[in-house]
Parts: sequence; structure tokens; C-alpha cells
Amino acid sequence: MRKILTILLALISLWSAANSSDTDHHSHEGHIHEKMIDGKKLAVDPDRFDKFLVGLEDAQVAIVNVQGMVCDFCARGIEKTFKKDEKVKKIDVDLSKGKVLIAYSLNEEIDFNDIKEKIVMNGQNAIDMQVVSL
Amino acid sequence: MGIRVILIIGLASFGLDARPISYSGGSTLMGHSNNMKDSFYYHYSPSYKYSIGIESLDDKVIGDSYSYTRLTYLINRKNTELSQRNLYFQSGISTTGLNNNFYGVHGDWETRRFFVGFGFKQVENQINDYEEKYIQMGIAPYLGEYGDFHTWLMFKAKKNSLDKEWSNYPVLKFFKGNVLIEFGYSDVSEWDTHLMYRF
Repeated sequence: MRKILTILLALISLWSAANSSDTDHHSHEGHIHEKMIDGKKLAVDPDRFDKFLVGLEDAQVAIVNVQGMVCDFCARGIEKTFKKDEKVKKIDVDLSKGKVLIAYSLNEEIDFNDIKEKIVMNGQNAIDMQVVSL
Repeated sequence: MGIRVILIIGLASFGLDARPISYSGGSTLMGHSNNMKDSFYYHYSPSYKYSIGIESLDDKVIGDSYSYTRLTYLINRKNTELSQRNLYFQSGISTTGLNNNFYGVHGDWETRRFFVGFGFKQVENQINDYEEKYIQMGIAPYLGEYGDFHTWLMFKAKKNSLDKEWSNYPVLKFFKGNVLIEFGYSDVSEWDTHLMYRF
């Protein structure tokens, strides 16, 4: 029993230490991710989003809000599925914000129902989507 | 016994027939070693609802080697913004005959930070039938991003009806990309290791 308590205390300590670093915030004034779309601020990790935009021109990015994407393994299938789609130029996953970033050419029509279906087939749920044109 | 076999076959048939292969899903290779068995398991998931596979194992309880045809079926899933909860049915029928089988349920609730899981499995082999149950909880000491090296510190309590006492032990789980490794050790059940590769 003492062993169990020791393990639990160690786990709680580690969690507390790690949790304190989660409160760090970024300030990226002026970047594209600070834009408002339909009155909503883009809720994406700024650094990740900036990296995602590198090399993308004449593109539009669908930022999809996904429920149930709690681990790396959960998101692997999503990435795999969208990479098979010829219309998709690039894809990334923002685990911390629960978002999937999908880049399409500007002339492509983005079908949210198709995105929802692909994500449901992977076992998660797409709730809403914002589109940023570059 | 007969009803149980019918239940297993019935659920397996339901899983295979009621859901067409409409999605080219993932394949998984697993290696598992503990005080009960050493096994190698391949499964394919036609959809996120179920997987079918073959497990080849050295059964340390009855001292025999054989294979299971396995089915895992997702009974229920609840996705929220920060969590996912699952309940699964699992079963297997041995290549040695219908009388050598197992069935059970396992479930979990997980956020990026916390994990809680449980499982129950009844194993029948006509020589030394037993049941196995476990609870497992864990915490991620840091929150890795997509593609990072992920770590989980876990605690597992496992009870096998062939053992007299619960086996309580820490488990470390690491994964990156498509590879996962998990291992724990206790005085009662000794090493419990699990390797997984998804593709």
C-alpha cells in the first residue's frame, strides 16, 4: 500500500510541475492567425500555424474543430485519410487546440460535410470549421 | 458454455457482416509478453468500429502454442472537446477449437493529461479456465504536440483468478509516430511488456 501511495504522490507532483508550464501564453500580434472570421478569433496554436503556412501560396486553409482528438495515435488516421485526398495540399494537427489544419488550392470548393465524414470514419467528430484564404 | 460460444460467434458475424469494408483503415502489429503469455498479434480495422485479427501465442498457463482469431468491437464512444471515452467488447476463438476461447470488455476514458481504464476477460481452455481483470490509471507528465515523443506514467492493478492476490505495479508508456512501447513490472506477475506498430 505504501508503494502505491508513493507512486500516486510522484504522479501528482509531476503533473503539478508540468501543469504550471501550460499557462504560458504567446503573443503574435499581427500574424494571420490573429484574424477574425465570422466574428471569431482563430483558436490555433500560433507557432504551429505559422509553420504550417510556410511554402503555401494561393491556398486556403480549413481550420477544423475536432472533438475526441486526445492523443497522437487518434490523429494519425485523420492525417492518413486527408493525405489520400488529391485536393489537399497539406495537413497538420494541432493537438493542444483540438484542430486539424487542411490546406487546399484557392480554386477548390471546401466541403465541410466531406471533411466531417472523413473525421467520423476515423472515430472523432468535426464540430465546426473556419476558412482562411492566403 | 454453448451460449457463450454462440454469443462470440454471433458478435463476430455481426461485426463482419453488418459493417462493410468502406474505409481503408489501419493495420496494427503488437507484441505482448507477461506471466500468462508471449504473443504476436496482427489486426486490421475496416472501420473505427471494429478490428479483426490473428494472435499467435505461447500460452504459459497450459503450456501450449496456438492462435486466436480475434474480434474487438467498439460498443460505445463519447467524444468531447477534451476527452474521449470508449467501451469495447473483445473476443477470440482458438484454432484448436471452439472450446478454447476468450471474451470480455474493456473501457477507458482519456484526456491529453489523464487516463483511466479497466478490463475484464474470461479465458476458457478446458484445462485451466481463468478470469482476468485490471484497472489502470495514468498521467502524462508533459503535453507533447502532434509528432512529439509522448510519455505516460501509469499505475496498473491486475488480478488473475489463478493468482491469489492483486498485482499492483507502475507502467511506463512511450510513443512517437506509429510506434508505442509499454512496460511494467511487479513482484507477482513480473514483466508486462507491450509493443505496438501501427500502419
